[in-house]
Amino acid sequence: MRLFVVLLALALVACGSPKPPLVISELEVTRPIPGRHMSAGFFVLTNNTDEVISITGVDSPQFARVEIHETTVTDGVSRMRELAVLEVPAQGSVVLERGGKHLMLMQAQDIGDSVTLQFVSGDAPVLSVDYVFPKDN
Amino acid sequence: MTPRNIILAVALAIALAAGVFVAAGNQAPVAPRSALALPAPKPVPAFSLLNQYGEPVDQSVFEGQWDLVFFGFTHCPDICPMTLQVLATAKKTLAEQGHETLPRIVLVSVDPERDSPEILGQYIDYFGDGNLGLTGRLEEIRKLTGGLGIYFEKQPGDDENYSVDHSAAVLVIDPDGGFHSLFSGSHVVEDFVHDLPILMGDR
Repeated sequence: MRLFVVLLALALVACGSPKPPLVISELEVTRPIPGRHMSAGFFVLTNNTDEVISITGVDSPQFARVEIHETTVTDGVSRMRELAVLEVPAQGSVVLERGGKHLMLMQAQDIGDSVTLQFVSGDAPVLSVDYVFPKDN
Repeated sequence: MTPRNIILAVALAIALAAGVFVAAGNQAPVAPRSALALPAPKPVPAFSLLNQYGEPVDQSVFEGQWDLVFFGFTHCPDICPMTLQVLATAKKTLAEQGHETLPRIVLVSVDPERDSPEILGQYIDYFGDGNLGLTGRLEEIRKLTGGLGIYFEKQPGDDENYSVDHSAAVLVIDPDGGFHSLFSGSHVVEDFVHDLPILMGDR
């Protein structure tokens, strides 16, 4: 049996496991500034499928409310608007970064050392990820 | 080439190199690369607001030091902390470079409904010591922003969840309380580190 498992593992390594449909990278969640109860989330979402993936919501047990926002600076004026949908293009990526699209995490509940983000498309969860705050932050 | 000519050639090369070196030395940066200076400083308009300790202050609060003034709000998770962090890092860098004239960082709230002096104080203290926060009655904030060409507008939303559009500029106020110059674009530390000593006359 053990030999079989080892062989199976080797076979999987040899074949290369299929890429997960949705991958998150460069994740950063800011700690709430003292006195404030909100954070921002920045990351890159990569879609390895041939279909657009539409993120319609993000949940986090550590925050009562999470919204997808976009900051734009046009004619010297900074504006922030909620996005109903975050589209991750087929075989492509979407970047959430400072001064652009970002997650706004509101009404922090009880933040310890980590934050969990659950991405939802329609009614279906599509990705869950834990972010651990750096020790020196 | 004779030995004499070689010596002449070497001497010429050294002279040329020295000339280039001197010329380069004379090309120390004298012009800001990002900030736009007003032709003449414009006095900050009269206003009556509260500092982060709840103490009443007027336009004279801008006298006596160079100020970097940003207009924002503490419920802004993205561009406001990013800008204040850029200003704080630039100030720290200037101090590390040995500059004696360092600006004070000022946040004027464009969301006085939610930004009490106490909340504003906690927020700006996060970005270093000696910062100033101003909040108060909306019409008094409008006196200040209107006179400086700063736009802001509250957007629709519920009581606790709304955004405020606001000018992204950082204004430089001179020690006489005059609107001296502004950084308008996307703010990067290097621009402030390069331009502020020029603007403040501390090169």
